Amino acid sequence: MLSRRTRLALWQLGRSFSSMLGLGLVLGIVGLALLGPWVVPYPDDVAGAVNIAGKLQAPSAAHWFGTDEVGNDILTRVIIGARLSLLVGVGITLAAAAIGVPLGVMAGTAGGVVREAVMRLTDLFLSVPGLVLAIALVAALGPGIVNAMVALVLVWWPGYVRLAEAKALSLREEPFIEAARVAGASRFRILWRHVLPNSLSPIIVKMSMDVGQAILAVASLGFLGLGARPPTPEWGAMISIARGYLPDWWWYAICPGAFIYVSVLGFNLLGDGLRDILDPRSNRG
Amino acid sequence: MNATRRGVLAGAALLAPWRAMGFEREGGRKVLVFSGNQAVPVLDPHVRYDWSTRMIQQGVYDALLKYVGDPPRIVPWLAESYDASADGLTYTFHLAANATFHNGDAVDAEAVRFSFERGLKLNAGIAWMLKDFLKPEGIVAVDARTVRFTLERPFAPFISYVPWWYIVNPKQVMANVSEGDYGKKWLTENAAGSGPFKLRRFDGNSLIHMDTHAAYWKGWPMGEANRLAGAIFRIVREAAPRRAGLQRREIDVITNMSPDDMDQLAKLPGIRNEDHPGFTTFGIKFNCQNGPTADVNLRRAIAHAMDYDALIAIHNGGARLMDSPFPPGMESHISVPGIPRKDLDKAKHYLSQSRVPNGDLELEYVHVQGLEDPRRIGLTLLDSLRPLNIRLNIVGQPWTTMVARGSKAETAPNMTSVYVTPVGTDPDTVAYQYHRESWGLYYGMSHYENPEVWRMIGEARGMVDKPARLALYAEIQRRIVADQPEIFGMIPNRTWSMRDYVKGFEFSPIRFTGEVDLYPMWIDA
Amino acid sequence: MNLTFLFDRVMVAYVARRLALAGVMLFGLVCLTFVIANVAPSDPAALAAGPDAGHSQIEQARREYGLDKPLPEQFLRYVGDLAQGEFGRSVATGRSVGRDLARYFPATLELCLVAMSIGLLVGIPLGMLSALFKDRWLDHLTRIFAVSGIALPPFWFGLLLQLGFATWLGWLPTSGRLGVATEPPEPITGMLLLDSLLRGDPALFAESAGYIILPAVVLSLPCLASILRVNRSEMVECLRADYITAARAHGTVPWRLVAVHALKNAMLPTLAIIGLRWGWMMSSTVLVETVFDWPGTGLYAVSSAIAGDFKPVMGVTLIVGLNFMLANLVVDLLYGALDPRLRDA
Repeated sequence: MLSRRTRLALWQLGRSFSSMLGLGLVLGIVGLALLGPWVVPYPDDVAGAVNIAGKLQAPSAAHWFGTDEVGNDILTRVIIGARLSLLVGVGITLAAAAIGVPLGVMAGTAGGVVREAVMRLTDLFLSVPGLVLAIALVAALGPGIVNAMVALVLVWWPGYVRLAEAKALSLREEPFIEAARVAGASRFRILWRHVLPNSLSPIIVKMSMDVGQAILAVASLGFLGLGARPPTPEWGAMISIARGYLPDWWWYAICPGAFIYVSVLGFNLLGDGLRDILDPRSNRG
Repeated sequence: MNATRRGVLAGAALLAPWRAMGFEREGGRKVLVFSGNQAVPVLDPHVRYDWSTRMIQQGVYDALLKYVGDPPRIVPWLAESYDASADGLTYTFHLAANATFHNGDAVDAEAVRFSFERGLKLNAGIAWMLKDFLKPEGIVAVDARTVRFTLERPFAPFISYVPWWYIVNPKQVMANVSEGDYGKKWLTENAAGSGPFKLRRFDGNSLIHMDTHAAYWKGWPMGEANRLAGAIFRIVREAAPRRAGLQRREIDVITNMSPDDMDQLAKLPGIRNEDHPGFTTFGIKFNCQNGPTADVNLRRAIAHAMDYDALIAIHNGGARLMDSPFPPGMESHISVPGIPRKDLDKAKHYLSQSRVPNGDLELEYVHVQGLEDPRRIGLTLLDSLRPLNIRLNIVGQPWTTMVARGSKAETAPNMTSVYVTPVGTDPDTVAYQYHRESWGLYYGMSHYENPEVWRMIGEARGMVDKPARLALYAEIQRRIVADQPEIFGMIPNRTWSMRDYVKGFEFSPIRFTGEVDLYPMWIDA
Repeated sequence: MNLTFLFDRVMVAYVARRLALAGVMLFGLVCLTFVIANVAPSDPAALAAGPDAGHSQIEQARREYGLDKPLPEQFLRYVGDLAQGEFGRSVATGRSVGRDLARYFPATLELCLVAMSIGLLVGIPLGMLSALFKDRWLDHLTRIFAVSGIALPPFWFGLLLQLGFATWLGWLPTSGRLGVATEPPEPITGMLLLDSLLRGDPALFAESAGYIILPAVVLSLPCLASILRVNRSEMVECLRADYITAARAHGTVPWRLVAVHALKNAMLPTLAIIGLRWGWMMSSTVLVETVFDWPGTGLYAVSSAIAGDFKPVMGVTLIVGLNFMLANLVVDLLYGALDPRLRDA
């Protein structure tokens, strides 16, 4: 049974066109990712079957989006690529939140030296050009999806510290926290039972937006040649290779980019909609 | 530069015939515009060389000898002639009488001595060629026109490296020394040479403009009337604008184009492609000391599983398969019988004799990050190894990481894809890669071990008797192939695309990938 | 705007403290980049010596670049160099990173300035317009446009624009900063648009403007989207005021008044966005410069990173980080100037 509040939220979500569009896009991509291996026309092309003779074919009935530089079906690789992108996007966001939120809550409630230390470190990471830093790190460690994820988590967590810290700070003075403290609740209990649940809405909103941005960031690294290793299909890497075949084989670049766009758009719209419901007072800048 | 050539908006001109104005002009003469993707960070001939750098160096400097033609020959240049002693220890060069530097100073024996000494002492760039055989004390200016080199011990490849030791003007260099740097800082962006071109503007990241030296001591092969006003090397990183520039006649010669691009360019009127067998070999080096590839039978199995036709197909036919560790055209090259070609039965046979008869292992294939062809070749190999039940992990790494890993047998990858361009025509240039002394260097990542072969390589480099030397190299080639320290891959063609009015292009495989000799070139239109 | 407060004693102390903090952060950044550069096994000396070099030349290069020293000493030397305004030498080219940065940074700065201008010049009016047509098709369209601004992969969108405007329509050049047939002028500021004006060369101005349009548009999108949203919501607020509703009912709306009022309200949040986005923009030029072959710090950083040449990457990170901090500081100060209530906060 859904609570009244949840039902209200769902109703609000359903009323907003753009939120529903976002939800639809996200569900579509997730569905493709789940069904991928069963719906793609050329499942072998994912594992690196090479067919040089059939390279760089124009879109046709057999290959809706043409073939790539080693003769693989582009549509197949893009659809399977959705799995990796989603996984990585969600993974980065979860990992960043898992590091950032506890740190932020801790800093916000503890105050003093701890807060100072955590927040200065956060500021440092927030003030560096994230993408440049991630590029440097992946270039040093060598390309690969795990390294890309590590690098992006490293530049991603500070955002959650900021958010959680601000929320915890504002909650610290709230009467019910005060009451719990007076009642002798342990510090951990206060954090766990009172601070965290009350900071959740903005964090959830941020996470849903961040999944899209993380997908984009991974694709960006892939585009610079620092993403997944071949033959793993990865959208950004595909565009990077396709770029070498512009303008004569322009269709190669279209499909993977469109998928990035649609998935990031989906998560952003969804996040936008969630914010309207969960966190209506927030600044919409 | 001509202001009207400045595109209003260059893209608009793509289809606009009225902007097709042809080559640069300056006064009554033409300026040749050459475009490639690689910058020229340091011009100093004793500090650095790569294809773009050496193209400019060859323009502004001269050496005692010069490589020309295909197959490459060594012809007299600043030296009219030389004598070699019978023991292979002493070489005496006799200099041309009329050679002068751009500032009018004579190119004398002292300049030659100074330049070689500088190259050896800086111990960078070209130094490796002669460092172990020639000491600065061994170079003597006998008189103004005679220089004598006395080697520490016989070194047969000596002459084959001399063309890359450019002669600088000692007076200019020493006048520009800062903090005892041997003029290094100054020569980075300036020139002190005697070559056919004079440096006019040097902006190593975007444009290098050279003027022809009207009074060039060697004269101009196309005749004074057809001599260019100068040449411009324009660095354009992306292929698409280079191609568009050529189509619009804003550029006269381009290089570094993909095989697919070259095919498209070949169809265009007014454009001529130059496509020549090169000298650069592509091989996949096995780690012969450590890991599963230390097993020669596994190496043979992999070499017989490789789809060699795909290597050619990736280049749209513009490559040749290697039939020896040495590229064809190199002295003493033989076509080694039995060099592996794709043969799955043989591959499976060798695999069954190896320590991993059932396969079921994963190997790492490392290539230089960002290079497209080695990546695609990795994909081909991955596909080829499937029948052997061997998995391939394709990894792109920065050059620095790759070399650091390759420096020790313990860390060297199972397989590393490597391009090697021989710097001279002497077989020792390639053979020495397989010597113990090359272990851990970029081209020695296979850590190949065969003391008998090492001994032969060591002996051959000091041999004076030519026929015996060639026979020894034939044997070396056979033995190396038998040990399979690498997959002998292919030799990609060198390609340029140019307007059909560009004349005097002379291909020589000894030059680097995109490098051309600008000296004989001119424009006939 | 009253700027005299800047000379206030309190203010001076505040600025000094912020600058000191920025210094500490920069030092942190130096440490961070140094760690990254040395995190993986790598042999920069081999890169410096070249592919054919033997052991002796590699060792020579190692000594020359100080790479034979223990890491702590290398770090101290680097910090010492930085203190003198030196960024070390690139092992790939042997050139001074400081000189390279001086060359590439103006190109990036020019691109970011133009992109930011596009963001403001398009974002503000479009935001206000869509508020006027709230919940009508124009509003929906701009909303999708705004979200797209953040969702479009810049590298892909750049390629699409190149295909459309350069290859197919032929209106604009594909990439680069100037045509291949144009000899780049000796730099004055290094920003071509400005230099061509200073030299009084309209042809050069037109040409470089043609080259900067596409990359600047791509770079401006996310920023444009944020500015658009802020201005829309401020305008919506203004339109909600009672007297406007009344005036609207009569059909006699003082549009000028509303616009000025909304602009004033939107000024602070817009400023905040500029401050936030400036650093971000400098960082995302990495992608845009790669797509458009724009010879700026982003392209420099990427190509160096891929080659395993880390001094340039460290240099770019520092320059961009510095920009980030300065932008934040300037915005904070302007905030103070525009809104005296915030000054003591």
